[in-house]
Amino acid sequence: MSLFLASFGFGLVTAAVLAIAAVGFTMQFAVTDVLNLAYGAVMIASAFVAYALNQAGVDVWIGLLAAAVAGAAGSVLLNQGIYTPFQRRASASGIRAPITMVIVSLGMMLIIEFGLQAIVGGTNVSYTMSQGPTVKADGLVLTTVQLVIIGLSVVIMAGVHVLLRYTKLGKAMRATAANRSLARNCGIRTARIVTLTWALTGALCGIAGTVFAINNGSFGATSTDLFLVVILAAVFLGGPGQAYGAMAGALVIGLATEISAAYINPSYKYVIAFAVLLIVMAVRPGGVLGATA
Amino acid sequence: MMTIRRTRRSARTTRPRTARRAAAGLVAAGLAAAGLAACSSSSSSSAAAGGTAAASGSSLVVADLAPFSGPDAALGPTYLVSCDGATQAIDNAGGVLGHKLTCKGVDTRGDPADAVPATRQMFATTPNLALVIGCTSDEAASVVPVINADKMVSFCMTGQSEFDSTHFQYFYRLVPPDLAESYAMIAIAQQLGYKRIALAFGNDIGSQTFIQPAIASINKAGLTLAANETLDLNASTFRTEADKIVAAHPDVILTEALGPTDATFLSEVKQLNGGKMIPVIGTSADISPDWYKSVAAAIGASTVASSFHADNLVTETSGPSYTPFYNAIMAEKGKVGSTGNFATYLTAPGAVHLYDGINLAALAMIEAKSTTPSVYAPYIIKIGDGTAGAVVVHSFAEGAAALKAGKAIRYEGPGGPTSFDSYHDSPGIFQIDTYSASGAVQVAGNISTAQLRAVS
Amino acid sequence: MTSAQLFYVINLLIYAGVDIVACLGLSQQFGVAGVTNFAFIIFQAAGAYTAAILSLPSQAANGGFQSYIGGWNLPWPVPWIAAAIVGGLVALPFTFLVGRRLRGDFAAVGLLVTAVMANLLVTDYRPLLNGAAGLSLVPAPLQGEYNPLSQSYQWVYAAVALVLAAAVFWLVQRVTESPYGRSLRAMRDNDLVADSLGKNLVSMRAAMLVLGGALAGLSGAILVGFINLWAPSAWGYAETIVLFAAVIIGGAGNHRGAVLGAILVPVGFEEATRYISGPPGLVDDLQWVAIGLLIVIFLWFRPQGVLPERRRLIGAGPPPVKPLDMPNDLVMMPGSPRAADATSHDGLAGSAAGRPITRSVPSGAQPDGGVVLRAVDVTRDFGGVHAVAGVSIEVRRGTLTGLIGPNGAGKSTLLAMLAGTLPVTSGQVIYAGADVTGVPAYRRARLGLVRTFQLASEFKRLTVMENLLSAVPVNRGDSLAGALRGRRYWRRDEEAAIARARDLLDRFGLSGYADTYAGDLSGGQRRLTEIMRALMAEPAMLLLDEPMAGVHPRLARQIGAQLLGLCAEGMTILMVEHELAIMDEFCDPVIVMAEGAVLASGTMASLRSRAEVVEAYLVG
Repeated sequence: MSLFLASFGFGLVTAAVLAIAAVGFTMQFAVTDVLNLAYGAVMIASAFVAYALNQAGVDVWIGLLAAAVAGAAGSVLLNQGIYTPFQRRASASGIRAPITMVIVSLGMMLIIEFGLQAIVGGTNVSYTMSQGPTVKADGLVLTTVQLVIIGLSVVIMAGVHVLLRYTKLGKAMRATAANRSLARNCGIRTARIVTLTWALTGALCGIAGTVFAINNGSFGATSTDLFLVVILAAVFLGGPGQAYGAMAGALVIGLATEISAAYINPSYKYVIAFAVLLIVMAVRPGGVLGATA
Repeated sequence: MMTIRRTRRSARTTRPRTARRAAAGLVAAGLAAAGLAACSSSSSSSAAAGGTAAASGSSLVVADLAPFSGPDAALGPTYLVSCDGATQAIDNAGGVLGHKLTCKGVDTRGDPADAVPATRQMFATTPNLALVIGCTSDEAASVVPVINADKMVSFCMTGQSEFDSTHFQYFYRLVPPDLAESYAMIAIAQQLGYKRIALAFGNDIGSQTFIQPAIASINKAGLTLAANETLDLNASTFRTEADKIVAAHPDVILTEALGPTDATFLSEVKQLNGGKMIPVIGTSADISPDWYKSVAAAIGASTVASSFHADNLVTETSGPSYTPFYNAIMAEKGKVGSTGNFATYLTAPGAVHLYDGINLAALAMIEAKSTTPSVYAPYIIKIGDGTAGAVVVHSFAEGAAALKAGKAIRYEGPGGPTSFDSYHDSPGIFQIDTYSASGAVQVAGNISTAQLRAVS
Repeated sequence: MTSAQLFYVINLLIYAGVDIVACLGLSQQFGVAGVTNFAFIIFQAAGAYTAAILSLPSQAANGGFQSYIGGWNLPWPVPWIAAAIVGGLVALPFTFLVGRRLRGDFAAVGLLVTAVMANLLVTDYRPLLNGAAGLSLVPAPLQGEYNPLSQSYQWVYAAVALVLAAAVFWLVQRVTESPYGRSLRAMRDNDLVADSLGKNLVSMRAAMLVLGGALAGLSGAILVGFINLWAPSAWGYAETIVLFAAVIIGGAGNHRGAVLGAILVPVGFEEATRYISGPPGLVDDLQWVAIGLLIVIFLWFRPQGVLPERRRLIGAGPPPVKPLDMPNDLVMMPGSPRAADATSHDGLAGSAAGRPITRSVPSGAQPDGGVVLRAVDVTRDFGGVHAVAGVSIEVRRGTLTGLIGPNGAGKSTLLAMLAGTLPVTSGQVIYAGADVTGVPAYRRARLGLVRTFQLASEFKRLTVMENLLSAVPVNRGDSLAGALRGRRYWRRDEEAAIARARDLLDRFGLSGYADTYAGDLSGGQRRLTEIMRALMAEPAMLLLDEPMAGVHPRLARQIGAQLLGLCAEGMTILMVEHELAIMDEFCDPVIVMAEGAVLASGTMASLRSRAEVVEAYLVG
């Protein structure tokens, strides 16, 4: 039982990191219809921004804010500089865009990730920080830092909820995501909304990357390669473009991978996530919470 | 009824002629290749790249054929430090037959499909190639046959069992087979009084091969296998694996999982064990600057100092063999590589073995009075194992002087005396290494051959 | 050249052969058929592993330190043949990812994930294929008889690799330069429309997956026979990206481009970087950055690649310099649409060139008293909104029925349900007396129920002639088997189709544009192309979705006259239109829809007199 509780605890931590990442990813897809496969690369690049500050003596939690800014700036640049021009050209020529965008985003992933590795080198690094005392509760074993991560994730989810439901910006984002031309006709400045969305989700991306790196203990430029797949699993489970779906998907995937690792060979724990992703795609591509077909 | 007034060309589709031309081009290339095969078969059925002696006064090249990129990117540069140190010392002592030696890195990228063209390119572009070092488990099985067929001497770093009993005339190995390392780790555990053993090895080539022999050895030694977890090198956390291991209450964890994995995994073990580290026994690959740097950062230098042992081949840490080795390596400080404490290169993977290998090859060249591998290769064993009445020498300079004086020599370097078996493997004796609080490697004990045999 | 340099050259030649075969497989899948297979490398790996385990001796005999399945020590060429077969078989389970339901980019991501997962499973489950260490000491072909490390053996190996590459090139060319290849390219350009013209998308995509998989498997076998070792490190998902870069840079859709890309990228580029020295690891990192940059730069500046897909000229005269905007120049020839008899075609005596455009309603179906198409209480919901609510209509044979209504009345939705491109939420669609409610669009098209689309839906990268030819319902070359049997097998059907197409082009006045890319035409010309294409499908009933939209009124009248002519020959047409003048002149009866339901039907004159119709629609 205690193994189950312990893995449940780890599952919560994984879900917390995953939620921040997945919500950002899915909202980028919602407003621009692009599966941004360079998301993981931006995550880890922001984590390295925090690392650079950390090496200069700055506390990593302050570095987290810097990472958020870096992620926001990088994501906006990525969308404005690369994705939007490609999409504009595709729609002008009438050729359907999705496949070109996926290939472009893969290209950007290579550029960002290996450009980063060229700069920081191939050795893995760690933040200089203390993990804090361990909290135990009947088999559940978590460090203070992990609890902080869970708390941070909950706060961010609540913030996203408030943003989407109760603010004008949030409503504008939802409208743009649902039907961009209609939103424009209703007077919403969709271009600005899109930029703002990428800035916000980019900040989420940066936070997610730093928190991921904190949770890992040791990370390098290619650490998020596998994690991106887990993010995709959470996003597709909840329905691409659905923020609440991403939250739910993150919870399910995070718990499923860690709890399954307690009972089967842990090397296969990510296979669960992959299997979920493929089954969802085959059976219900709109996601569990999404629209059918 | 519509009548067509214009005459019309036949409604056949025009065949894309240029496509046929392209296909013909490929066939022509293929046939040309076959033709060349027929022509060249009579002249050179088995070409030797190392067949020509180097022009006098020119530099001889020692190639470090290893991964410089990919997951094992640390290995190539690490070997290069030993290479540079050894060759510089040789050059300072007058070189080999009037030639200086230089080192060259050849990146295999850590995968066999890239390693083979890398090897071919190396042969094609290095006319003065005299020796190959490196060749790790990532690519050895595909490149060693090529190197051997080209009659080039190689000193390889792979412990794979493929090479325990396969005849490659030009292949030499001074590192222990992986099997032996597994047994050594169990022997260490036995010596330190541990009964319950947990295994946590990475899922890559070099690490996976330890598992089965370790399990067999545990059974033979009458110890208990408490847990056996494989660590996926691509994953980012291992909490569940760590928890399973902690829950099994082992006395010691045996591990090799390179890259960020050991660092992450061990830090999680420490956390889950209430902040107290479970003792760890690692392999010789863990005695490396990179491994130390990431693990110490993750769990703390003092923890590493108090909880970590590793098996390693017996290497001298003082004495007549060690001093020239020490001087040679430290002379490279500031010139090549460096990840913090340069002294860790003294005990890094390949450090002593490749240094010894280069020295053996160089001395063999002098005694054979030739830089052609097919001529000097037999002298490697002669100098390494020694003959009756041979003078024991501890460095290249000493050996070169003795050879000049007409004496027979036996080389004993910092890696200890060699004893090549019929497959050119010299397994060596094991010792127990630990890290000090400042990251320096210390020898904490030895494993006798009897102890090793008892658990194999 | 020294011997070592020769060996290096041989190595490069063999790798070129391997990469060419792989890139041709990918080019066929991606460039021609538009199937984005990000798991491509798995098929090469499957082939390599198959060749390895079939040629390796049993585990015990091989020293016992590798664990793997198989080990039957089979002689060459059995392992290579098996590798190609297994590569194709492994592709079969992936077909579920490329059905029409899934967006192209979702499917691509699913495939990428599969590649990552496969690598992980093979690495971690050691008993299967020896895990991370992979399979080593793999025997080279015929290594018992010859020395695989001798230069002559390797020259022959290179020759075999290149000859196989040439054979593969010939094979994929044969498939692509056939009517089937044309259907593949149509599917690539616009799969929805291809579906509506009777192409079975799932079967075509599955066939391409299997073919590409088989070729990839063969390339894996050639590679493993040479390097004698195959480990998971050799087939990470990133290798697929390199192959994609090769095909994109070389020229997607042009097999010569794929050959060029294979030589430039996986061979040329990766080898060139070996000559650059620098700090360890940096060159390799920069190489990946460069590949990413090349992909993005090429997709922006030259998406067609170095060697773009070539225009297929079907010999109908030189294309005009630029498309003409005003259709005034087009003079449509009056007269019946029935194609000429055999005597008017040079050298084609006795051919089936003179096929009627109109197909009779499928025999065997119960006659429905002259009603060709019937909708019974058809409804379509979109998340709570009734786009179409309980509509029942009848369309009689030989009529040109109009369907009008204000924006949002549900006309296009109804049309889509009748055609099968949209499923009904409830209700029935009866065609020629048979219930086709559950029948997919492509099958309805094959039964003679063909639709056009509201938005431009021509196949842009096919010429006008090819657009027309793509719609031909029966062509022996329009299947994989038919394509493989070669030109001689399908030539007659093709020539017959070309003759029909030429007639239509003449009739609609676009003969001079036969070899122009459909994407380069003006709006009105595109509309005509679409109508002609629909007619090539030998429909018994046409569903036209705003065929006159954006067309010059004079041309619209000419089209209307043509349609009436077709109806006189027995074709049935249901046409959605906005232009009331067209309705007035050509359509009888006319159905009026508003807010998802049928408001009224009858002649325009009678409708104009009905108050509710006037209110709903005809105000002003």
